[in-house]
Order: sequence, then C-alpha cells, then structure tokens
Amino acid sequence: MRGKYSTGLGERRGIELMKTELAIIGAGPAGITAAIEASRAGVAVTILDENPKPGGQIYRQFDEGFSIIDADMLGRDYSRGQELLREFGKVAHKIQYINHSTVWGIFDDRLAYQDGKKSATLGFDRLIIATGAYDRPVPFPGWTLPGVITAGGVQRAVKIHRILPGSKILLAGTGPLQLVLADQIISAGGQIEAILEAGNINWFSFLPGIWRQWDTLVDGFRYLRHIWNAGIPLLRNHIILEARGDGQVEEADIAEVDKNWRPKLHTRRTLKVDSVCLGYGLVPSSELALLAGCEHRYVRELGGWVPLRGEAMETSVPGIYAVGDGSGVAGSKVAIEEGRIAGTAVARSLGRLSITEAQDRIAIFQKHLSRLKHFCGTLYEISRPRPGLYELARKDTIICRCEEITLEAIETAMAANAASLNELKRMTRSGMGRCQGRICGPTLFEIMSRKEGSQANEPGAFKPRPPVKPVSLDVLAGNPTSTS
Amino acid sequence: MFEITVDGERIPSYEGETIAAALLAAGRLILGYTAKNNQPRGMYCGIGLCHECMMEINGIPNTRACQILATPGCVVNTQQGWGKGEE
Repeated sequence: MRGKYSTGLGERRGIELMKTELAIIGAGPAGITAAIEASRAGVAVTILDENPKPGGQIYRQFDEGFSIIDADMLGRDYSRGQELLREFGKVAHKIQYINHSTVWGIFDDRLAYQDGKKSATLGFDRLIIATGAYDRPVPFPGWTLPGVITAGGVQRAVKIHRILPGSKILLAGTGPLQLVLADQIISAGGQIEAILEAGNINWFSFLPGIWRQWDTLVDGFRYLRHIWNAGIPLLRNHIILEARGDGQVEEADIAEVDKNWRPKLHTRRTLKVDSVCLGYGLVPSSELALLAGCEHRYVRELGGWVPLRGEAMETSVPGIYAVGDGSGVAGSKVAIEEGRIAGTAVARSLGRLSITEAQDRIAIFQKHLSRLKHFCGTLYEISRPRPGLYELARKDTIICRCEEITLEAIETAMAANAASLNELKRMTRSGMGRCQGRICGPTLFEIMSRKEGSQANEPGAFKPRPPVKPVSLDVLAGNPTSTS
Repeated sequence: MFEITVDGERIPSYEGETIAAALLAAGRLILGYTAKNNQPRGMYCGIGLCHECMMEINGIPNTRACQILATPGCVVNTQQGWGKGEE
C-alpha cells in the first residue's frame, strides 16, 4: 500500500461531492506558491497532486527509506526547493493536500480525479492549473529500444534512487539541464561516454548570462569542472542519429550537425553505449487547460501549446488560471512568481484581499517576472529545436509509440490530405493510445507544420477528451481492486 | 532491503523505489513487448506519461512500473502485448 501524506485535513477526502474554494492541480513550484499566497489570504485551498509529496519534478522529495548523505551534491537548486517547501509547511495545516491523485476531467466547476484506487470529484469556485512540463519526445531510428530514456526519467532514478541507467551512458540533447544531469550521474559514480549538445553552445562563455534564470545553473561552472575532470567529451554541434541493439541499446551512431542540426554524414561514428538519455528541452502539459476550453496558441519559444493569459494568469475561461511550465516552459523561478500572482489574484477575486493590497503584491511579483523574462529569450534561442531534429526518423521509425504508427503511415495520411492532428488521428490512430498523444503530439505538430507545400501549416492540437489519463473501469465504478 | 519476484526471478529492491527503478538497478531493461509488432519496450519517460513501462504487477496487466512502489513480495511479470490478468 502507498503511504498517505497528511496535512491534517486529509480525513475529508472521499466525501461525495466535495467542494473547495480554490482547487490547484499540481504541487510543483507554481502550484505550491499559488497555494501559499491564496491560503495566507484566507482562501480554502485543495491541491491535487500525482506525486506522493509536494515539490513537483524539480523539487521532488526523497521517498521514505532514503536519507540524504550528501546534501551538497544536490546543489543550491535543492536548497531553494527546501526553502519553498518550508514556506509551504507553514500554511500546510490550512491546505487540503491530496497526493497520488490524477485529475482526469474538468466539467464546468467540478473536476474528476482518481485518488489511489477510487474515483472522486471536487467542486471549485476557482481553479489553478499547474501541471508542469515533460521532456520533448524526438523520434529517431531505435528510440523505442529499451535503454533509451528521457533525461527527466533518468534524473528521477539517479537523484531519488541513486540508480544509474547503465554502465556506459550517452547523453544527447540540448540546453543546460543536460549538464545538471551529467553532474548527478558523475556524483552517483556513473560512467558517461559523451555528452552531445545539438546547439552551438560554448558553455564557458555562455553560462554567466543565463544562470540567473535557471536556479539549477547556479552551480553551472561546478558541473562543467566535474565533467572536465571526469574526462567526458562534451561535444557541441553533435546529435544522436540512431540507437541499435538486440532487444536493448548496445550502440549509438552520432554525428556533427550544421546550424540547422542536419548531420554532416562523413562525421558519423558509432559509440558503444548501453544507455541513452534524451534531453531536448521540455514541452508543456497543456491537456487539462485545453480540456477546460482555455484558448491556446502554439508558441515555439515556450515549448508548444500554451494558454492565453491576462496579467493575473487568468485564462480565457473566467475563474481558471494557468501557471508554471505547463503554460509555457520558462523554468522554476518564473513558475514561482506566476504561482504567487495567480494565488493573490484568486484571493482578490474571492474578496479576501482589497484591490490595492492585491495590486501592490502582484506588482512586486510582476517586477520579478519581467527581470527573469529577459533571460528566457536567450536560453530559448540557444536550444530552440532546429529543422534537422525532426528529420532523423526513417520511414519505418515509430512516431506514435502506443499504436506503433510509423513515419511512413503518417506521411501516407499527409499525402492523402490530412490537414490537422485530429484528422491524422482519425486516419492513422496516432494519438489514440494510452499516452493520449502526449508523446507523438509534439512531434506530429512539428512534422506537419514544417512540411513544405503542405496545407497543414496550422495543424492544431489533439482534442483532449476525458479521461485525459487512463482510469480503469473498476475505479470509475467505485470498485476498489485488492492490490496496490 | 527486500525482494520482489520478476518473471519468477528474485530481484532486490529498497523501500521507496518504484518497480521500474528496481528493474533498472538490476539491469533489466525490457519490461514488455508491444501488441502489434512484438517489439521490446522499456521505461521511456519515467514519470508516468508514456505508458511504455506497462507490466503485469500483482496480477494486474497494463500497470505502469514507473508509478508503482515496490513492496515486499511484489509479483511482477513482463507484459506480452495487452497482457493477461488473473482470471
């Protein structure tokens, strides 16, 4: 059985037709700060979180049974998380925190979620969506082989469990988070064969400019020193072309790329590796905001589909707010400020703060935000996916992992005039599987919108339908199954 | 430390670990085979989104190994296609 994390009000869970003033989905940096601000002002807050404890992916807390031997190894990023969680701890007794809960639907002023093995609903006056982001999926030959794992997945294993993904590890991707992951792997005693940076980045000259934006980069130079000392090749303008192996990864082909990330094929060579970690930046988890009917637009700089928002983070649907990486990938510092703004705005809209009080507070957070936004552009520009990234797949490469749909099937449907992701889905089943288009969706958008002469330059997003995450019929019917 | 059973074999695990983590630590990367092409798959996203790590866990097929904590005596099987639950 899974342990429950209680903030004192947990006993209220499970009551039919529960209702709260403010429901927050997600307890990462944005969700936590929204809860802190709203709760301080006297708003009744309920947080629904998929994880066992607050913190999200970035401030993921250690599971029971693990103790921290070397807090320093975790860097200042970890300390910042601890600080935030302490702040949350001071108001936690006023907040209903429901862990292990997956929200699978939003119906007007009520959301439906799976709480462990039962299904429940929660009514709300206001809703803040803080669902975060996930690693950008990039298909290439062999990317479905066991041993090819996203950087986020590897980080969770290394950071929380101190488990290494293999004995000869290849990191491929772009952006500063690769350095963070490399450092964590080195600290845990892992052997990295090479780190491939697709962009033309000289970290030593670049770091000072960006690390005020990404708190994880405060330790940037230390990471570089560790990588250097370990003798690991840090290859810029390099990309992974293919992974091969009998049942699992045994080797990978890499090559140098031009400024459009197209490989210079004469530089192609093979590395013997048993693990490939992919970190091509993040894409926002926007399905719940889409499902709620919030108007979205596709913003490459922010990773994908993001909701339109006003100054106070309110979406086009009155009473629904969206904050953090889930509404545009910009890092945890931005997420923290956005969360505070939304929490304050909700308190104001419920009459718990005067207009001037709220305005004064929001002005401060906005000032922090505008300072941070300055760096976002730079960071984006260096690791913006270039066209070559989406040209790695071959005809027989799987694009939709769930339904096992190849690039060839996608291209056939496009040739038959599929002009949107939804048409493509109907024609090929791509996006109909268990992940509900989270993995193939971002790729299909890029493939379709980049296709020359295509009518599909605005292919839209998959239309999300509840349940947005799989829920078993047992759970929906309220029949708890016997095992965890 | 305790043990879980994977395809009849005993695998060590620690409290707080997910099943996928315990299998990764044991070097067992193949968690299942796909329904259509019978291709091996392993943990991909590692955070519960992609469903590539579906296994039969304690008799329940299509369970994400990256989301379920290992517990003493846990019985796990590599999933073939859509998997077979206990009848």
